[in-house]
Amino acid sequence: MKRLLGVALGILTAIGGFLDIGDLVTNAVVGSRFGLTLAWVVLVGVVGICLFAQMSGRVAAVSGRATFEIIRERLGPRTAGANLVASFLINLLTLTAEVGGIALALQLASSVEPRLWIPVAGLAVWLVIWRTKFSVMENVTGLLGLTLVVFAVAVFLLGPDWASLGSQALSPTVPAEEGAASYWYYAIALFGAAMTPYEVFFFSSGAREERWTAKDIAESRINVLVGFPFGGVLSVAIAACAAIVFLPQAIEVSSLSQIVLPVALAGGKLALAVVIVGIVAATFGAALETGLSSGYTLAQFFGWSWGKFRRPAQAARFHLTMIVAMLVAVGVLMTSVDPIRVTEFSVVFSAIALPLTYLPILLVANDPEYMGEHVNGRATNALALVYLVVIVVASLAAIPLMIVTGAGS
Amino acid sequence: MILGDLLDAPVVDSSGRVLGFVVDVRLVLDGPVDGLLAAPRVHGLLVSPRTGTSFLGYERTGLDAPALLARFLRWRHRGSFLVHWTDVEVASADGVRLADGYRRWSPAIPGVAHQRP
Repeated sequence: MKRLLGVALGILTAIGGFLDIGDLVTNAVVGSRFGLTLAWVVLVGVVGICLFAQMSGRVAAVSGRATFEIIRERLGPRTAGANLVASFLINLLTLTAEVGGIALALQLASSVEPRLWIPVAGLAVWLVIWRTKFSVMENVTGLLGLTLVVFAVAVFLLGPDWASLGSQALSPTVPAEEGAASYWYYAIALFGAAMTPYEVFFFSSGAREERWTAKDIAESRINVLVGFPFGGVLSVAIAACAAIVFLPQAIEVSSLSQIVLPVALAGGKLALAVVIVGIVAATFGAALETGLSSGYTLAQFFGWSWGKFRRPAQAARFHLTMIVAMLVAVGVLMTSVDPIRVTEFSVVFSAIALPLTYLPILLVANDPEYMGEHVNGRATNALALVYLVVIVVASLAAIPLMIVTGAGS
Repeated sequence: MILGDLLDAPVVDSSGRVLGFVVDVRLVLDGPVDGLLAAPRVHGLLVSPRTGTSFLGYERTGLDAPALLARFLRWRHRGSFLVHWTDVEVASADGVRLADGYRRWSPAIPGVAHQRP
């Protein structure tokens, strides 16, 4: 019974934890410009993150090594160092976007200028990282994030033309007023939003925080394989909301208030309050995860002691890294940069950096010296090779498309 | 010179023909007990025509999954070989020269559990 509850809790937090500011913004922007014609990318991204998270979780559980320990060990110091620089900077960009997202959501709730919320949000995230138990932190933000289900409810309340939504999703074509380059640029952005690298740093390091062993593989697999697809459904619901309300008016989503507008139209004040709680929880949870990931990546590369299961004094450099990362994120946001723009860039750069972490995990997941009998099976490897191609192509195409489309504008 | 200096050093045969680069040094622990462990002895050098991705070591381990990647990485290091230390005439960071009549051995590590023939 206790086991069953554990599984249920894991699934629920995986659903709530799947969504972050990247998913919220990218899906809403895409919905408002392309309708559901890019919904297939969410499916591709969800299958990808299931595959990737499941592999990295298994590697962490069996070999006792988190992602960056493996990268350092398997790629050597030079290649791994270049990898670290790229991964760390992109993670920092994501952290900045998430903290900005918290501030924007709090602004919606309070009408107080986001720049007054930013230091408060940064401090709150840091305090939780410093003081709260890992499992509490995970479960509270994950469960509160479930309130984003209100996006799915809103789709029904808005009473859309189901036939037109269905045909957009099932037989996707590039909308007449958009170019093919923009279409593919946003396809990569959506893919990057679903498969952000920090999820994998966090997932594998979290496996160590919670002291998983080979016995926990089955449970973690269920969490991922059930939780993430439901998260993907919520992603599509966000896009559908934007498609129903904004696409016919040709309005492009560029602020958080627009992202929640369909929910407010459908369900009134109460729904709006619920969705704001959901967005604060999702961005706060993701800010915790990216904040911790900045410490995880650096500490694992340099071999410092890390982890929230140690007292901060015993993992001083790990905690110092997170403090500095948080100060940088807050500092960047205080320059009045638009967090929505930061988010749009962070998801594309996530897609660019993905092969750097994917390849080492794939190699190690096949290495019996690390994995013993728990190496990848044939089916996993076949799928993993297909995704290797997808990930490399998306990564290589991202920068040219970014230049051609002027970052999607 | 430390052992690490040998890595990436060019390898030539006695006539000066370039054979590749040192990508690894193989040690065996069969010396007299030195402290807690047997003293290591240099068994030989691994020479490969290229240095990139040699760190992954697919030509040494017999690991064959995921199939396409393993095949590609092994193919990149085709022609790599092990040369016994006794066949090494000069070894310095600037380069390694092999003795006349040196012998090329398989780069595979013998006796690894998952090795497939």
